[in-house]
Amino acid sequence: MDPNQFDREKLHEIISNYRDRRWALIPLLQEVQEEIGFIPPESIEPIAEALNMFASQVQGVITFYSGFSLKPKGRYVLRVCRGTACHVKGSRSILRLVKKELELEEGETSPDYRFTLETVACLGACFLAPTMMVNRDYYGRLNPTKVASVLGEYRKDKEDD
Amino acid sequence: MESIALTINGRKVTCRTGDSLLSVAEKNGIFIPTLCNHPDLKPYGACRMCLVEDEKSGRLMAACVTPAAKDMAVLTDTERIISHRKNIVRLMIAEHPESCIVCSKGNRCELRALAARLGVAETRLYPMPNYKPYEELNPFIVRDLSKCILCGKCIRADHELVAAGAIDYNDRGFPSRPATLMEKPLEESTCTFCGTCVSMCPTGALSPKHAGYVGTPEKEKDSVCGFCGAGCSLALGMAAQKVIEVNPSKVKGSVNGATLCVRGHFTHDYLNCEDRLYEPMIRVRGENGEPELRAADWSEAVSRAAETLAGIKRTHGPGSIAFIGSPRCSVEENYLFQKIARVLFGTNNVTSTATINGQALLRRMEEKTMGAARITPIAELEKAEAIVTVNSDMGHAVPVADYHVRRAARAGTPLVTIDTAKTGLAPFAGARIRPDNSTTDPEDRIPALISALVLKIADINGHDSDFVSRFTSGWDSYKTAAKKLLAGQPLSPAEENEIARAAEMLAGRKTAIILSPATMEQRHGARIAEASFNLALVSGSLGSRNAGIFIPSPESNTAGALDMGVVPDMLPGRIPLSDQDGREQLERFWNTKLSPDPGLDLSAIIEAAESGHLKGLYIMGENLLRFLPEPDRVEAALKNLDFIVVQDIIDTRTARLADVVLPAAAFAEKSGSFTNMEGRIQSFTPVAAAPGRALADWRILGLLAQKMGYPEQYATIEKIRQEIRKTIPMYAALGNQRQEWVKNSEKDTPFAGNGARFEFGPIEPHKPADTKPEKPFTAVLGSLRWHIGGGTRTARSSRMKKWNRDSHARLCPSDIVALGLEEGGRIRIVSDHGSIERSFIADSGLTSGRVFVPLGFHENDAVSLAGLKDLKPPAPAWRTCGVEIEKI
Repeated sequence: MDPNQFDREKLHEIISNYRDRRWALIPLLQEVQEEIGFIPPESIEPIAEALNMFASQVQGVITFYSGFSLKPKGRYVLRVCRGTACHVKGSRSILRLVKKELELEEGETSPDYRFTLETVACLGACFLAPTMMVNRDYYGRLNPTKVASVLGEYRKDKEDD
Repeated sequence: MESIALTINGRKVTCRTGDSLLSVAEKNGIFIPTLCNHPDLKPYGACRMCLVEDEKSGRLMAACVTPAAKDMAVLTDTERIISHRKNIVRLMIAEHPESCIVCSKGNRCELRALAARLGVAETRLYPMPNYKPYEELNPFIVRDLSKCILCGKCIRADHELVAAGAIDYNDRGFPSRPATLMEKPLEESTCTFCGTCVSMCPTGALSPKHAGYVGTPEKEKDSVCGFCGAGCSLALGMAAQKVIEVNPSKVKGSVNGATLCVRGHFTHDYLNCEDRLYEPMIRVRGENGEPELRAADWSEAVSRAAETLAGIKRTHGPGSIAFIGSPRCSVEENYLFQKIARVLFGTNNVTSTATINGQALLRRMEEKTMGAARITPIAELEKAEAIVTVNSDMGHAVPVADYHVRRAARAGTPLVTIDTAKTGLAPFAGARIRPDNSTTDPEDRIPALISALVLKIADINGHDSDFVSRFTSGWDSYKTAAKKLLAGQPLSPAEENEIARAAEMLAGRKTAIILSPATMEQRHGARIAEASFNLALVSGSLGSRNAGIFIPSPESNTAGALDMGVVPDMLPGRIPLSDQDGREQLERFWNTKLSPDPGLDLSAIIEAAESGHLKGLYIMGENLLRFLPEPDRVEAALKNLDFIVVQDIIDTRTARLADVVLPAAAFAEKSGSFTNMEGRIQSFTPVAAAPGRALADWRILGLLAQKMGYPEQYATIEKIRQEIRKTIPMYAALGNQRQEWVKNSEKDTPFAGNGARFEFGPIEPHKPADTKPEKPFTAVLGSLRWHIGGGTRTARSSRMKKWNRDSHARLCPSDIVALGLEEGGRIRIVSDHGSIERSFIADSGLTSGRVFVPLGFHENDAVSLAGLKDLKPPAPAWRTCGVEIEKI
């Protein structure tokens, strides 16, 4: 999957649905993020034009929220929690392990766009520390074996494709 | 508004509802520190430095964003507040790089001043400097965002004042910084380098770039910008009698407020360029027998000029001498200049390049409006009911006026643009009327489009029928003619749509119409001006300050030079030479006899020089060889003259042809007045020292008049002003105050109610394009914001010398394909008169068949495409010419 081959017509359609509705910048961006998986930088200027804003303003909103990304992300986004509780429970080692397994640094995406590795300050599931999320699924009480099995699940998925 | 009372620090103060605590405190002389507040920007509350305490609840509030309320009791400097302020400053300094000692902001840094005031020395915090790349690749602005304190002034200035939209905050938390789109360098963003942000930045994060050491300004003095017709108030930062920095002046009621443009802000370093003229020179036979220029003293040089010119007049008659004045020289100087020509030499051969650069349109509109609408304050554009621009990219001609239009449009004022090329205002426009793509001569179509708009407005009953019936004539015959014109040129559906939309926006509204100053200098310009005037009439827009016809002036005194009669067929006060009463009145004032025959215009002067009928030429503040078309021909013509005097600030190519060179002082080095595009007369006084022995132009002219034996002595500027006030009713207020306004004509205007009427302009049928098959393209010679006129001054700015981004010719993408051109290649543009070579870029805003060539770059060689024969008044259409394009 090459994420730069996204559906440009769809993008265009989303933007035109919001034309002249300045207040709707965030819903628009959410829809683009949801549909395309990221917000293509080339869409910033058309969005700004449609909403009568400056392109720099649109970019400011995109970069402010971590929910929006200007870079294509992998099919599976891993968020390893680095909050206090998880830290005490050894999330540093968990992160190190995940990095080693996936050969990715924080914020990076694998060349095949399968995995993206991110860290977050807290997932709000401290009772399960140390935790991480893959897309919308939580994985708690992690240990090296569990990490390997979770990653294995998502890797296995690859062969199924 | 209601008045309310509250106490600040136990003192009872009153204010109006809605005032912020900060502004109330300031008005009452109570100091509250702030880093993010600016009177011209909306309150923002970013820096938290203006914290104040509510006496009753102990609550802390940011004074800039807290509205004053009834019976409030506020404390501004309790120990608790001071401690908070100190902590905020400590945190900012902990994040700041430790480079204060080498920072260009030096002692003018507001953060440092505040730290000193609060007694913050060592922060006793762990230093965590937030290093960011140092950006200084562009020649104007150095960005060192390590020093940014996130006050947001630059971003707010960019959005609220100049509406360029180049920057906004990026990211969040520690990495957050003002950033361009995709964090590209400024030169690749929509930044226009107006420098408004630089003047506002409280720290060293943004600073002007200097080519070398210039020192720190010791003091600031106010002046008026000498570039375009906005007439911005400048605060010139001086070190050792030299201008080293320019900021917008803080004076109240200025044209520009807190803004400037790239020219005003960054190119005044031309004042210190090495090409300035330092001493008078006269041509003598050198040691090797060749004539050469050698230094002379003032008396010798002026005597040589006076005696030789007097000799020419005696032998060949007054018609053998011509005088070329300057829209860059002051009102007083231009008055004296034409008086010397008309009274001492008895000739009407007095003109300037302004006649082919802006004045043609001014004159046409003066005739059409009968002098009843000379005052058009640009600040009123923000109060306009609607704005229409016609072929006008004011962001380049008069940037500061353009900011007002952008602000108005952002605040909801309906904006319609009518143009052949996409302008910077296009994203702000509610309707964009442009000729259909299939049009071969798009300019030719503009009058029809405007006429269609006028008819449409009338159709939906959106016209001002009261104004039309009271003040105008010819409405019915106009309608018939317009319908006939449109029958021959039917509208395309796209045009029809856009015109309907625009008509809805303009219906029932008085409209401010902004025309390009170059309108009359392009093919079909006279018809476009006529059509735009009709639009002003149908919307009843004349006679109100926030509506009417706004004409950006390309030079600081374009209007003043016209008003002072530096034109061959008009006397001071905009009195036509043919007006016998006006002429006789001036004859009485001047105690002389004036010839009723118009003098030579610019092209006639060159022709007369070629034929030998002209013998002597006196040029004040003009570089003819850089600005006039066919420079080689002009040079040969000038060489054919017996005697040339050049009085200028810079050693130009024209000055090198002179027999007498008189060094003059630039605007910052002398007293004078400029009349800007609004009709505002602004007087200024010397700020810097003139280089060497250079003198103000009016002093030189005074010396000349004295040598010629004229009995009046012009020893002070006030003496000249007195005479102008007495002889020219339009300038009766000149020099009374720092700012004055010209007077509208008092007689014979429709508003006087004595039967005169504004006339709907005739509708001339469209003319087929006069392109020859071998010259299929139309070159459009236009000015960009980087250079003024031919660029004699701006190109001598060390900063602008390094700036070539926009020097390329621009072609429509489909033409690039059709011509088989490769990206990054070069083209040769050939006209009937000359040829130039250029790199080119694609511009999708252009219609096919046109090539835009910017003036000012590359020694202004673009002007060699134009022809001298096209300079003929009243519509000197030299800016468009037929060309062919060759691939190199």
